[in-house]
Amino acid sequence: MKELFKQRIWQWVLASLILAVALACWKPYVLVEGIQRSSLYAMIALPMALVLGIVGIVNLAHGEFMMLGAYLAYWLNVHFGMDPFAAMFPAFIAFAVIGVISYLTTIKYVLGAPELNQLLLTFGLAMILQQLANLVWTSQPLKVHLGYVSASAAIGSFSFGTFEFVYVAAAAILLGGLLLFLKHTRLGQAALAVGQNPRGAKLVGINVDQTYLIIFSLSIALVGAIGAIFMTRHSIFPLVGGAYTLKSFCLIAMAGMGNLAGIAVFSLILGVSESLVLSLRGYAGWADIIFFALITGVIIVKSHQRQIR
Amino acid sequence: MNLKRAVIICSIFLAFLLGFSLIGATAAEPIKLGAVYPLGDITGDQGVKAMKLAVKEINDAGGLLGRPVELIVIDDEMKPEKGSAAIEKLATVDKVDIFVGGMASGVLLAQIPIMKKYEKVTVWTGAAYNGCEKALGPDANWFFHLHPWDYQQGESYVEGWAAVTTKYPQVKMARQFWAYEEGAFGTGSFKASKTLYKNAAIEGESFKSAAVGGGDYRAVLRHAKEFNPDLFIWVGYAADALPIMEQSKEIDFNPPVFLGSPPGWPADFGKSPLAEGVTLYGMWAPSIKEVSPVSKHFWDAYIKMYREEPATYFAPLAYTDVMFVAAGIKKAGTLDKAALIKALEETKYVSPLGETLTIKPSNIIKHQGFTKQKILQWQNGVQQVIWPFEFSKAKIVSPFPSWKKR
Repeated sequence: MKELFKQRIWQWVLASLILAVALACWKPYVLVEGIQRSSLYAMIALPMALVLGIVGIVNLAHGEFMMLGAYLAYWLNVHFGMDPFAAMFPAFIAFAVIGVISYLTTIKYVLGAPELNQLLLTFGLAMILQQLANLVWTSQPLKVHLGYVSASAAIGSFSFGTFEFVYVAAAAILLGGLLLFLKHTRLGQAALAVGQNPRGAKLVGINVDQTYLIIFSLSIALVGAIGAIFMTRHSIFPLVGGAYTLKSFCLIAMAGMGNLAGIAVFSLILGVSESLVLSLRGYAGWADIIFFALITGVIIVKSHQRQIR
Repeated sequence: MNLKRAVIICSIFLAFLLGFSLIGATAAEPIKLGAVYPLGDITGDQGVKAMKLAVKEINDAGGLLGRPVELIVIDDEMKPEKGSAAIEKLATVDKVDIFVGGMASGVLLAQIPIMKKYEKVTVWTGAAYNGCEKALGPDANWFFHLHPWDYQQGESYVEGWAAVTTKYPQVKMARQFWAYEEGAFGTGSFKASKTLYKNAAIEGESFKSAAVGGGDYRAVLRHAKEFNPDLFIWVGYAADALPIMEQSKEIDFNPPVFLGSPPGWPADFGKSPLAEGVTLYGMWAPSIKEVSPVSKHFWDAYIKMYREEPATYFAPLAYTDVMFVAAGIKKAGTLDKAALIKALEETKYVSPLGETLTIKPSNIIKHQGFTKQKILQWQNGVQQVIWPFEFSKAKIVSPFPSWKKR
């Protein structure tokens, strides 16, 4: 059974490589922009997956924390001339504190509650954060012009943007860092144990409440710092985060709870598929349909596989 | 007997007192203008500021009909349900005399049934969507619409570009590529373009606006680049403005005319080096103050009062709204509805937008104000008027400056 599984994996890898080479020859920018786009999705979804996998809560305010992180980076840039990449560090610290406060004042009280209550709470939190941003910065979109975001390179006649490879690097560092943290640190291993079986983890002496607090705060700190990267290339306004919460949640649904590597794989599939659809003239409107069709397809196949097992 | 006399004297005294107090109350009773705007948006924020400026100027000059003018503002948050509730409150709780303001078409559509219930004189600054005109119908003689309808805007663009291409032969319109946001606003604009520019080769493609979770325009920009248009126009929102420019630079897309058509531009767009040479549509530009004394007065007074520059045409348009109403009330000499409507129909107001505001019928309604938009261009961080030529102090920058030189 294990051999068959390995064989199938290799078949998938080979097929993907052939497709990638074909795509690179036919429309190279589809591949480049697809990878860049998928890395943005993965980068934002990973902290949400961490919370869902370990704390077991769907944080519908995930995108709003990113939005606030983006506003903080904007503010630091406008008032102190701080580059958004440097602003990631104060954003990380500030949002770690915000994460602790949010957990202690709200999340903690619904951990044992039915899922609907959890969803309602985080949805309410999202509304509060949106309105807060609306009050402070208004709904007027803000964008800092940074010369380096338009950087490009050319290989022969093919020219492509290079800045968005920052997303690729950030997603890779985040994924690698989180996997290392979860598998090779005591706290990470404890968090994995809590995610798999909180009662069992408590019995062996792990402080479950503290683990939840740390993981939730880490997730908010990460998404706050990601907000600083996000604002380099996107306009920011109070509702900007909502769409990314939905996309992140869909990716997690495809990859499976707590499957961080799976998020990278499915982001890649989605990003390249969207990019391919967008490259076909007159079919831009199909990109969202493809996104949700893929999600539906993957969930159906997965549940079918589960039934067979 | 003495008691009877005392009662009579007291009654006369009380009657005088009551009479004087009533006269005093009437004298102090303000004329109430009820404004509805999205205060979180720059259009609403600056629109309200401009209205307050107009009200201050009117009151400083002695008010209207011997009464002060009061402005009551409600934020519609650009939400239809809040906009309609605002009209209901202004009519029933605040008991305003006239409705003013307005920005989004979607909000007005929801407000129209409530407005029809009260039929107060309404002088509206916003809403270009012709569906609002259909919803109002030909009988809404209490409604005065200052902003051009979408079909009037389209006609003015055709007229304007015909004049521009004649004056500047290097500007061509034969091949146009429209990148439009996938919602009703973008799609409707693109469909309308096909009927307006019958002799041009027009291609178009939708994109997902950043306002609804998009923000990657490279695919549509590459298609536009392949088409090699004379004019590239994008129809989206303020959130798309700067990212579209950055991504055009990234893929080195350099059309001869680069035109943006969002309802409002983001703050500080003009400060970006990528803004130089971008063409746009609007009802007003700061440079109009150089040719119009009214515009100069408005510009100076606004900056003096708020220590910021008016950055959207909704500021002079909202100022025009209040001043036009004031001129109408003065002319009518009363707030009587029929007399006021007649006076507004006959009022000619020299507005800070450059043109003189007069009322004419449009396709459906009887009271339409402005009918034209202007062709503007970002030059050295400032919007300059390119057309109509009578307001223009600058030549068009054409072709669009190369990205490599910025």
